[in-house]
Amino acid sequence: MRTTGSRSAVLYLLAIGFLAGLCVFLYGFLFQGGDWAMQSFNRHLTGDSQLTAAGKIYDRNGVVLAKSENGKRLYNSDEEIRRAMLHTVGDTNGYISTGVQYSYRSQMGGYNLLTGLTVPTGKPTGSDITLTLDSALCKTAYEKMGGYNGAAALYNYKTGQILCMVSKPGIDPANVPKDIDTNPKYEGAYLNRVLSSSYTPGSIFKLVTSAAAIENIPDIYSRTFHCSGSITVNGNKITCTEAHGDINFRDGLAKSCNIVFAELAMELGKDKMTAEANQMGFNNAYQADGIKTAKSIYDVSKAEENDLGWSGIGQYTDLTNPYHMMMLMGAIANGGVPVQPYFIGDIKTSFGLSVKKGEAKDGARMVKESTAAALKDMMRYNVTSDYGDSMFPGLKVCAKTGTAEVGGGKKPNGWMVGFSSDPKTPYAFAVVIEQGNYGRTSAGKIASAIMAQAAKRGK
Amino acid sequence: MLPELPAIHIQPILSVVLFALRILIALLSITVVWRCFVSLRRGRRREDPVMMLEEMSTHAKIPVLYWENSIGRSRSCDIVLPDSTVSRDHAVLMRRESGWLITDTNSKAGTFVNGRKASPTARVTPGDVIAVGSTALMLRRAHEGDFKKRRSLFSFQKRIPAPIRLMTTVFLIQILLAVQACFAGGSFHSGPLIPFGAMAALEWVFYFYSMRILGRVSFELETIAFLLSGIGIMLLSGADVQLAYTQIAAMAAGILLFCVMIPFMGNLDRVTKWRLAIGIAAVILFAVNLVFGVASHGAKNWIQAGPVRIQPSEFIKIAFVFAGASTLDRLQTAKNLTEFIGFSALCIGSLFLMRDFGTASIFFLTFLIIAFMRSGSVRTIALICSSAALGAFMILKFMPYIADRFSVWRHVWEYADSTGYQQTRVLSYAASGGLFGTGIGNGYLKNVFAGTSDLVFGMICEELGLVAAVTVVMSIMILALYTRLDATRSRSTFYSISSCSAAGMLLFQTCLNVFGATDVLPLTGVTLPFISAGGSSMVAVWGLLAFIKASDERTYAARRRNG
Repeated sequence: MRTTGSRSAVLYLLAIGFLAGLCVFLYGFLFQGGDWAMQSFNRHLTGDSQLTAAGKIYDRNGVVLAKSENGKRLYNSDEEIRRAMLHTVGDTNGYISTGVQYSYRSQMGGYNLLTGLTVPTGKPTGSDITLTLDSALCKTAYEKMGGYNGAAALYNYKTGQILCMVSKPGIDPANVPKDIDTNPKYEGAYLNRVLSSSYTPGSIFKLVTSAAAIENIPDIYSRTFHCSGSITVNGNKITCTEAHGDINFRDGLAKSCNIVFAELAMELGKDKMTAEANQMGFNNAYQADGIKTAKSIYDVSKAEENDLGWSGIGQYTDLTNPYHMMMLMGAIANGGVPVQPYFIGDIKTSFGLSVKKGEAKDGARMVKESTAAALKDMMRYNVTSDYGDSMFPGLKVCAKTGTAEVGGGKKPNGWMVGFSSDPKTPYAFAVVIEQGNYGRTSAGKIASAIMAQAAKRGK
Repeated sequence: MLPELPAIHIQPILSVVLFALRILIALLSITVVWRCFVSLRRGRRREDPVMMLEEMSTHAKIPVLYWENSIGRSRSCDIVLPDSTVSRDHAVLMRRESGWLITDTNSKAGTFVNGRKASPTARVTPGDVIAVGSTALMLRRAHEGDFKKRRSLFSFQKRIPAPIRLMTTVFLIQILLAVQACFAGGSFHSGPLIPFGAMAALEWVFYFYSMRILGRVSFELETIAFLLSGIGIMLLSGADVQLAYTQIAAMAAGILLFCVMIPFMGNLDRVTKWRLAIGIAAVILFAVNLVFGVASHGAKNWIQAGPVRIQPSEFIKIAFVFAGASTLDRLQTAKNLTEFIGFSALCIGSLFLMRDFGTASIFFLTFLIIAFMRSGSVRTIALICSSAALGAFMILKFMPYIADRFSVWRHVWEYADSTGYQQTRVLSYAASGGLFGTGIGNGYLKNVFAGTSDLVFGMICEELGLVAAVTVVMSIMILALYTRLDATRSRSTFYSISSCSAAGMLLFQTCLNVFGATDVLPLTGVTLPFISAGGSSMVAVWGLLAFIKASDERTYAARRRNG
């Protein structure tokens, strides 16, 4: 009897298996319950999509960007605002996976763990989301981008609030084109380029090379370089836009001399360059309100000497992500520690409870304090000596432009990154225009417009 | 948008009240299940000696702890005699209705009672001397002084929940469920009151029959069964009241089966005599099913008998447990499993031919439990499992369409509109219910194919909430745990083995149902015990419960007291 009884312990094995399976289910219920519930076939969500009972989306000034009425999802009446806000708000079908209508679909659709999709008071309504974005500012950026594709982002580097985030190409979410899947014009229309794309940086990468030089070469400011228009390394030519002649480090950055920075990168070597790039947030994905951003890439592990030279001026395999660049600008402006940029202001349930509130959060240090001060000074000099302070009147902007060769017979991508050093207008920006040619003329135009408007509206 | 109802002010209040009642249902259910478990554990017999054996040369006293005790030289025996003339498994000393018996289990030296040879069984009364090998033992009554009392009388009596209170709480839960069902969709329907009334009448008649007429002292297992059946029936009445009627009729038949099986199993000699017949009947039933069976949704596991359609495999589950279990004296004499393996192979093979793989795996697991409890041989089990794995591999290799069922497993969202249709609906609607559900009759999963049977776990989640659904399945696990704790205190290894295999069967079936529907395991399509719509299943589940009830020592105690 005792032996038979003790053999009944096999039931424990079964019970353990049962509990393990139950835990798998409960884990899913707890962490993916919202995704499970928010399906277009779920008849607790009546209407044409899972958003038909969803809450409203507002911009920072209370402008309604999207709402649900009579089983339909409606967007702002201004087409340019709809297009400018598309990638942040998202589309009705949920194809834009980084849009809040998709990434926050369970909260928006009224799902919560406690009551599921039902509300005891009978009327299911989703949470409202207020963005930190300013739709007027986004519209300006969108207009100024004109026929070009690219990305523009601007944030307050003290509070972390993103005020402008625009990506092109896009579509009008209220009138989705029928040929969206076939027309090459719409290729990548669902991608938010600010968060999910990385571009060849070109000269804006010289900021990284500069930081490495400041920290590792003691006599950097007293050195003189010589630019004769090109140098030859391992039989491979590295060219400059013009022959700058004898030139120092400071002017090298302002004039964006390729020779100075290619030589510096080769002198510093792979290890120091990689260490500096990693410190500044390269090869690392960030989380913007729970959305993973595309990584900026700096990888010279397989580079030849001439490749290393090219990598120091933002070519070779270098890639940068606009969100990351904007954050790096914020870090330099803040003495090296960035405030993490975010765009969800708050999420309020239908009964008025705020379930998520955006707030200023420091990220990891990206630049040494002394280096940040030196970079800030040099970037200010870029503007005053070269780009012209009239681009950003009264804002004391520190910036760097870039013109990134992309090959394939395409025109270069134009970049401009920077920030206002005036504490009254604490804005940092990153703008990239695909095939925009010179950064100053393509991206600069947009940067200039949104900085001016942000400063005006911030008063 | 909902049409504006005239009673628009009442609507939210009613909805809030129903929501609050669902919270109450969940909490009361947890309480009942827990109190039943406590009551089952506390109500067990203390592990004190039933009798004593006095070794005649040394006058050492050996306690007799169980209703069936193996005597021998082997360390695995209940009464170990370090005597080289005693066989390893010499004899079994057991208590039956008529008194104490000793059965010689093919020992070399034989067993003698007062000098007379037991061939193989002999009666023993207190004062008789049993000779096994060169050891002589006198059977004596156990006295207070023979053992240390573990617990004082006071702590033993402490707080065993009264059966009537547990039953009343279950009834209260059912009233609340009926209220939910009557107000489905926000307005009052009287439809669910009929199944509710029938169910209540059935329950209370059965309660008073058990407690007053049969004089039983325990009702916990039946209480849990009523809690689960009540949830099932009320859910069904919210989906389709016809299903609820069938379910109640099946429950009545199940209770009847329960009431027949318990007295039948009371006499172990009778059970032993009938085992072969039951086994043969099971095989014949399978044969009939294979020849005359009706295919339904891929599996040919139905028989049409006039207006009734039954699923024979559900009833064969009971026969299977009967055929597998055995009393200790028989376990010791017939040690090999050959017959039972052959019988199991026939059963499982038939199920494969019917293409009912879910039930086949339930039979296989039950077979493993029985085989292990009988033989204790890990090697045999490993051998069986590896040959089964090989068989499964061959099946998958030569019948690739079966492998297709597995390709969707853990990838249901990629096949949401084809092979993953049912699972994605279960997950989506389960999550829509939150912790306390949308209310009976307000769900949508019931409209999905097999929503009220194979996918019923999702339906409980959707309409009554996650807490109630987890409580339901946990209560079945608690049944299994209790069965294990009670295994050595049964009146015979027949009861231990049959109850453990029945509980294992119920728990494994629960696993397949719940995890199949929620994509933790591949979907197999078996019912959730007590809940799923399905007459045959409901009847069979009560039959399996009878095995668990029979293993509770108290079940047969009352009858002796009365008779």
